[in-house]
Amino acid sequence: MQRGEQGALTGYRVLDLADSKGAFCAKILADLGADVIKIEPPEGDPGRRMPPFLNDIPHPERSLYFLHRNANKRGITLNLKTAQGKTIFKRLAGKADVLVDNSPPGHLMNLGLGYSMLQAVNRALIVASITEFGLSGPYRNYKGSNLVDFALSGTLITSGFPGKVPCMMPGSPAYDAASLHAAISILAAIYMRGTTGQGQFCEVSVHETSRLGLYPWIIPNYSYALNPGAPPPTPEVRMGASIYPIYPCKDGFIRVIALTPRQWDALVRVLGNPEVLKMPEWRDFLYRIGNAQDLYFLMIEFTQKYTMLELFEAGNREGVPIAPILKVSDFYQSPQSKSRGFFVELEHPVAGRGAYPGPPYKWSETPAVMKCPAPCLGEHNEEIYCGELGFTKEDLVALRAGGVI
Amino acid sequence: MLPLENVRVLSFGTGGVVPDFGKIMGELGADVIKIESRDNLDFMRTIGPDINNIAGFNEANRNKRSFGINLKMEKSKGIIAQLIEWADVLAENFRGGVMESLGLGYEAVRKINPKIIYISSQGFGGGGPYSNYQAYGPMLSGFSGLLSLWAQPDDPYPVGSNAPIPDHMASKFVVVAALAALDYRRRTGKGQYINLAQTEVAANMVGEYYLDYTMNGRIPPPMGNRVPYAAPHGCYRCKGDDRWCAISVFTDEEWQSFCRAIGNPAWCRSPKFADLLSRVKNADELDRFVEEWTSAREPLEVMETLQAAGVPAGIVQRAPDSLADPQLKARGAVVELDHPVAGKRLYPGIPYRLSGISALRSVRAPLLGEHTEEICRKVLRMPEEEIESLKAEGVLYCASVPER
Repeated sequence: MQRGEQGALTGYRVLDLADSKGAFCAKILADLGADVIKIEPPEGDPGRRMPPFLNDIPHPERSLYFLHRNANKRGITLNLKTAQGKTIFKRLAGKADVLVDNSPPGHLMNLGLGYSMLQAVNRALIVASITEFGLSGPYRNYKGSNLVDFALSGTLITSGFPGKVPCMMPGSPAYDAASLHAAISILAAIYMRGTTGQGQFCEVSVHETSRLGLYPWIIPNYSYALNPGAPPPTPEVRMGASIYPIYPCKDGFIRVIALTPRQWDALVRVLGNPEVLKMPEWRDFLYRIGNAQDLYFLMIEFTQKYTMLELFEAGNREGVPIAPILKVSDFYQSPQSKSRGFFVELEHPVAGRGAYPGPPYKWSETPAVMKCPAPCLGEHNEEIYCGELGFTKEDLVALRAGGVI
Repeated sequence: MLPLENVRVLSFGTGGVVPDFGKIMGELGADVIKIESRDNLDFMRTIGPDINNIAGFNEANRNKRSFGINLKMEKSKGIIAQLIEWADVLAENFRGGVMESLGLGYEAVRKINPKIIYISSQGFGGGGPYSNYQAYGPMLSGFSGLLSLWAQPDDPYPVGSNAPIPDHMASKFVVVAALAALDYRRRTGKGQYINLAQTEVAANMVGEYYLDYTMNGRIPPPMGNRVPYAAPHGCYRCKGDDRWCAISVFTDEEWQSFCRAIGNPAWCRSPKFADLLSRVKNADELDRFVEEWTSAREPLEVMETLQAAGVPAGIVQRAPDSLADPQLKARGAVVELDHPVAGKRLYPGIPYRLSGISALRSVRAPLLGEHTEEICRKVLRMPEEEIESLKAEGVLYCASVPER
């Protein structure tokens, strides 16, 4: 590793069969030092076709989605549909600690590479399976997508303006939530293996994990509202603009989190104590939600006198959380990101230089670092096949010609 | 056996992130003690009329014990020091600087327990000008740039959602950190300090748009529900009030299946929709046709008709849809827990399964101070008289479970 640094997971080997859906799982482990080998079919991971692209030119080495979620990994090609490919895969699995997979239910089993087959090769292997709906149940063969899974998580109905079409969250939130839960179950299994010596099979459904990763309160909120005597439950619908209102200011927009009367009073001070905001009813959170439209037109007269940063800082001083709605460029340039060293420059052989978001945490003993950019297709074939499995370069030519790698 | 049996966690948490972290550590088998104060409540206990009867609190604080103590009183110091000695992991998400002001910063804590794993999670993270700013999830989606992308192209400004995103993603990163650090400690004996920034979790969820800026020099615009690689792709209005179904048609094969499933109306054969590129180009017109079909049907019918044909589709679920969801039902993904104040209520179940474990832990949230006495006796080995006098002085706070 660079600078002789060890990550918390240095020494563990992870085989990553995931495509764009589960790529973030092994990225999380790679950020902590795990040796992640991404295994792609010879034609490449379909995730390489995900936009946006460098200079808007679709190309397997230019997908920015792919580059972000596969940094810190090494990459090889291997065709699991060939007999030799399966044999090679089993040799790799024999030495690995973890396998991450997001193929549909039964896919690996049908290839003869199901958990029981792999367990026979390596009883300590931990296999994580990420599927859209899980391996059982009436929807197990249903298909998902970024948008469909976000819709089913219960979060989409709360997104966007009331009366308008619900609005998708950017990125791939449901898949990232599944990837994080897969990482948790893998790490729990690794920790447990320290005692038992045995691996496990971790089953993760996007349909269930997206709810827990994005908005776990929907069911409890509804269930609690069914109290005898309580008002009937109100459906969770697009209240982003009323609960956490957004107001224009001099140079952009701010979001205000005033939940308690104390926070409201602080907000009134931030805005220079205007009489019109001192009406006692405004101190009541529910009254403000009920009259969000009226309040909006009162507020903008005052918020527009200030800049985002002035309101952010004044809110902190007075005791009401106010956030500027930053563009990605603003967050990139913010003094907070700079002083934490969050963005890290990496040089990719095809895509060139870019500043990548780093891991979201700093570790005192085992740094989580950005070591290398995402692998080019088959970039580490020689390193792994010749360096570790004893194939010669001539063998690689034959394996390539035979469609194995 | 559970994965984290014998792991001890001390949780100084409020709101979403560290409470949800503790819930997960508890479900994996750790003994999690939540340090709580009656005088400075976890704010999630304050968003309803009864501190013990709040849905969001009782969701996030399952699988843990509550220890009621006033951290501002001198006599609390020795008690907390004993609990620090007892713990393997300490996690906190108070506003930056609060733990230091209580004498509980990492440097002070490691003097008591050098092997401890200490995790801080703040909105903006430590080590910068905004480290001590108070933060809530919906602020952080704004600060991190994520919210700027979360709008329809014709929206006046982005509103995102009322869900506290990225809180519940950040909490999972805290779990990842704790588990990896525990495993490292198991192998090396070394503890450490980990400092998480919740804004950086949000930024990781849209990392490709940061590369769009740093590599393409472009400030990406909000995208709404459309993508350049699928059509139809969006939320389509269904029968009923504010009812929708999400549909994604990627390949030409899926498009053929889609057309068959909706009965091959004439417009399906229009050359305007013959291939993906044409469908993307003519998406406005296409969406109107699709919505004609969906708006005469219930969202469940739309979803199941399309899924039966192999087309990705899903209800834009509300709570009653989730409770009726046959998949969640079949997999036991909603659980009922009986809480002494809140009664029998429903919660999302544990969304991952480990083959070596028949059941992970699922225990209702504690009342404030419910386990104070039990912890004094069994963990701190405190004599009864001392417990009584500390209670009387207001250092400790105990609650007993009410009769029902």
